[in-house]
Amino acid sequence: MEAIQTQNLTKHYRSGLFKRKNIPALEKVSLSVEQGEIFGLLGPNGAGKTTFVKLILSIVHPTSGTATILDFPLGKRELKEYCGYLPENHRYPGFLTAENTLVFFGRLNGLPETNLKEKAHALLETVGLKDWAKVKTKKFSKGMLQRLGLAQSLINDPKILFLDEPTDGVDPIGRKEIRDLLLSLKARGTTIFLNSHLLSELEMVCDRVAILNKGKVVRLGTIAELTTQKLAYVLQLSSPVTKEIREQLQQTILPIEYNNTSLVVSLHDKSELNRIIDILRAGGIGIESMNQQKTSLEDYFIQIMKGENGQ
Amino acid sequence: MFRFTVEEAVRRGTLIFYFIVATIILILLTLGISHPTNEPDMVTLFGNPLARLSQQGLNVVEFLLIQLHSLSIFWIIIFGMFGVAGLIPSMLEKGTIDLFLSKPLTRAELLMARALGAVSGIAINLLYFFLGVWLIFGLKVGVWHWAFLSSVIYVIYAFVCFFSVVTIVGLITRSAGFSIMLAFVFSIVSWGLEVRENGLYRLWDNVVYHRLLDALYYLTPQLNAMLGNSTRVIGKLPFIPNTPDFTFMPFIYSFFSTSLLYLLSVWYFSRRDF
Repeated sequence: MEAIQTQNLTKHYRSGLFKRKNIPALEKVSLSVEQGEIFGLLGPNGAGKTTFVKLILSIVHPTSGTATILDFPLGKRELKEYCGYLPENHRYPGFLTAENTLVFFGRLNGLPETNLKEKAHALLETVGLKDWAKVKTKKFSKGMLQRLGLAQSLINDPKILFLDEPTDGVDPIGRKEIRDLLLSLKARGTTIFLNSHLLSELEMVCDRVAILNKGKVVRLGTIAELTTQKLAYVLQLSSPVTKEIREQLQQTILPIEYNNTSLVVSLHDKSELNRIIDILRAGGIGIESMNQQKTSLEDYFIQIMKGENGQ
Repeated sequence: MFRFTVEEAVRRGTLIFYFIVATIILILLTLGISHPTNEPDMVTLFGNPLARLSQQGLNVVEFLLIQLHSLSIFWIIIFGMFGVAGLIPSMLEKGTIDLFLSKPLTRAELLMARALGAVSGIAINLLYFFLGVWLIFGLKVGVWHWAFLSSVIYVIYAFVCFFSVVTIVGLITRSAGFSIMLAFVFSIVSWGLEVRENGLYRLWDNVVYHRLLDALYYLTPQLNAMLGNSTRVIGKLPFIPNTPDFTFMPFIYSFFSTSLLYLLSVWYFSRRDF
């Protein structure tokens, strides 16, 4: 069952004198996010990632297109009872303590007063701010505010959690803790929608990702689908490739990278792999392992962006 | 949101300053004002006889109450604005408004709770001051001036109307500075429109221009007229000739213009992207 489904969701901003300048932010974005999955949205600055989340939460209004979130249409007030949101560059009133911040947002979510403080304390413990409950947020560092923001987004036990750059300003240990928290939320059935520039982190937690560029979805798939290069293989060899074998391999006209006892070969066709293996074995070089080559999400993202931007 | 806004207004310091000043005035009144038992129609301030109640038809108690009432009006316009005019723009700051709008509240609820919280911050201060003055005059002079106490309702009502202008300006400009500045401009314009027949009309002898000024007068909260009438609830000073009688009309007209401004604010806030 889909947690989020959008059809041709479009947003154009108007700016300038008399609002005559049209700035497209999202163009006919159709996405579906399954319940209980961690979905990542990637894209360069200004790609429309934040606009997408804001549309879903009715912080901005769509120009056209429709969406349903947990079967609620866009803009339905009840929908927000099931959503948690951590915006980018969020600001909390500096005069409130961490505990009171959570209590305040709990009240805004319509939660009953009973156990609200206990819940706030439990969440502060979860995000590692237990000892800071009575400290005013104006004394918090960026990383601490980020942790508090995460706790705030969880105060209503959301079914869908929207996180915009959740690890921004958080130290490596904190990032690991946040990743573990996201995975535990996923295990409890929470759908998580993640916007992040830290592609390595998305790679670690996301089930599926979409790449957004200039307001359009340019790629969509699982991490494995996007990062596996179907016709590139890494061969681990028993010994380094000799000069003679290298010359024979060069005759295959396939792009081959040599790295001591490993070899990366990009194929036009899978049958070409047998030729390579035959040459190696004929030369007395054993093959210890053979795997499809994977690129990192970051490399894939850069590659896609270069292609999209015609570089 | 209402409770949070009141707390935020208090934390801004201006309301606390207003509260402290009001407390100082109340302490000075408590210490200074007295009513000698051997002279029942005499009121003294730090031992100085102010005037005899029966002389020249001047009611000294009313005179003092009117002066204190006028002082409170001055204070709410000056410091009230500084205290709460920034509350609407601060709610609209990036990173704050996103959080508020992601919660299960309608935009109308959010805006109205914010406005109500801001107005309440001022109202609490005014009630404190008026109640304090009323108690001091009652306990020390023996005059329980109910009209003075009731006049606070009119002042608060006038501030609610005034804040409708601040709200829409704050929403459009998103700037606390602009909101404060335009609120002051409005308070001056409101006075200009109130006395337009003897002032602005004379700038240009043109019917359309005059009708335009009339329309502006009726389409905006009549702040000056309301505050003037709130003073007349207490009494009239005999040395100011031709003081008109108290009338509800500015309050009624302002009810409609204020409602319109709040409705426009909600409409604008609901349509806007953040």
